[in-house]
Amino acid sequence: MKYVILIHSNPQPWGHPTGNYLPEYQALPDDVRKRLDDDFEQVLSEIQANGEFVGGEALGDPATARLYRWHDGSPLVSDGPYSETKEHLAGFFIIDVEDQARAEQVVARFAGPAETVELRPMMWPGGEEQ
Amino acid sequence: MVQHTLEDVWRREAPHVLGALLRRHGDLGDCEDAIQEAAAAAAAQWPIRGIPDNPRAWLIRVASRRLIDRVRADSARIGREILEVARQPADASVTPGPDEVVRDDADDTLRLLVLCCHPALSRSSQVALSLRAVSGLGVEQIAAAYLVPARTMTQRLTRARATLREAGARFAMPSGEELPARVAAVLDVCHLVFSEGYTRTSGEALVDVDLAEEAIRLVRKLHVALPDHDEVTGALALMLLTHARSAARADASGDLIPLAEQDRSRWRHDLIAEGVALLERTLPRGHVGRYQLQAAIAAVHSEARTYEATDWQQISLLYAMLSRVAPGPTVTLNHAVAVAMVHGPESGLAMLEPLLTDSTMQRHHRLYAVRAHLLEMNDDATAAAEQYRRAAQLTTSLPEQRYLTQRLRDLGDTGDHPAVCSG
Repeated sequence: MKYVILIHSNPQPWGHPTGNYLPEYQALPDDVRKRLDDDFEQVLSEIQANGEFVGGEALGDPATARLYRWHDGSPLVSDGPYSETKEHLAGFFIIDVEDQARAEQVVARFAGPAETVELRPMMWPGGEEQ
Repeated sequence: MVQHTLEDVWRREAPHVLGALLRRHGDLGDCEDAIQEAAAAAAAQWPIRGIPDNPRAWLIRVASRRLIDRVRADSARIGREILEVARQPADASVTPGPDEVVRDDADDTLRLLVLCCHPALSRSSQVALSLRAVSGLGVEQIAAAYLVPARTMTQRLTRARATLREAGARFAMPSGEELPARVAAVLDVCHLVFSEGYTRTSGEALVDVDLAEEAIRLVRKLHVALPDHDEVTGALALMLLTHARSAARADASGDLIPLAEQDRSRWRHDLIAEGVALLERTLPRGHVGRYQLQAAIAAVHSEARTYEATDWQQISLLYAMLSRVAPGPTVTLNHAVAVAMVHGPESGLAMLEPLLTDSTMQRHHRLYAVRAHLLEMNDDATAAAEQYRRAAQLTTSLPEQRYLTQRLRDLGDTGDHPAVCSG
């Protein structure tokens, strides 16, 4: 089953990995920060090595986004960010794993202070006719 | 034309060339790399010089040389087994008479499948390795069939080969007491490949590999190796009887057509006849496993001229047997439908009650889809709509979601309701 892992964050200034630019993350004791970093690196290498990692990208600053809204029958263009909320979509990973339990196991190690990690199943083109 | 023949020859011979190499040098990774190089050499030479009279012997000879070169380069790993390869004539393994060749080929395939479905591997690795080593598919073909990048599939295969090496897995027939579990794993892998292919709708025809047909091909080979294995026969029958419905299960735009509404004249009656004949040979023997029971259910469906003429009593009975042999929530769901068709929707709904408190099933769209269907049968449109809505939220299948949303619309639902997915 394929899942997308969405990283919602607000690094200041915008940067990757997002944790490096989050005061709450930087305020953690060194050993805790190291453990979180190691945990993430470990799960990332693990899913890359075993073929569960499908892809992923880091996204640019939401302020650089161009927004296209439909207005009077044509697109009206403006500058970002898309949302007024504090957190923005900062990046995503796509994984292909055995089941939901395994996806949850992976995504738990993507979590960190001051950001929200979202796990969403991906739709697939097949289905059962019953 | 030449290209086509070359691929056919390759697909036919690959597992046996691999088997011949593995007999002398046990490392699947090394042997696969070597036969890959032999395939490249064939692709370069055969179109010019023609296909050799004995392509297998040719491929084994070339692949053996490449294997020796490869392992020599890695001097730390030179072992006696490799020196053996150099000493033996490379085509020694293809000298037996024609009958023995068929027998040996079948045994090779079985050994190879059992190796690829080794218990140390994850299911997805078992699938990838089997399609690579036994079906002879290219990494890119397998990756495309599973809608992942080639890099991801390459990683899966590399890790799988390394895992086999670490586990000390060997190209050999498992012992008598080990064999049943290993064959069961092979059947599960084949069935997984089949389902992946079968559940694709026709709208998605971009992939050149038909996984359902690959799975049937694999189980056919397994059936040649183990003609008296009732569950192998059962799995083959199940796949043939299910695959028979392929053309009727989706419309041109890829939307699903439920069994009740399928045009049965579009079912493949040759496959149905073959599946039924296989079952008739195995069922009387009495070792009835889950594949035989599922095949028997598919056979009852395929023998009904119309949905209304279905022998639900028989299907209900078979599901009751299946829930003893291989109990599980999916079996209960299907059993409930059959019971509802015999005794009315309320009996079916009552069977589903316990599943409503099962934490896994609470997130499973099929539970709500089946409940919706039974509630609709029971003329409770309001409750049915709520269940259809929930099922549509939970499914990750695009065509199923379209279908469920359509049922919801047919009930006159406006879709203007609060989300019910929480909890």
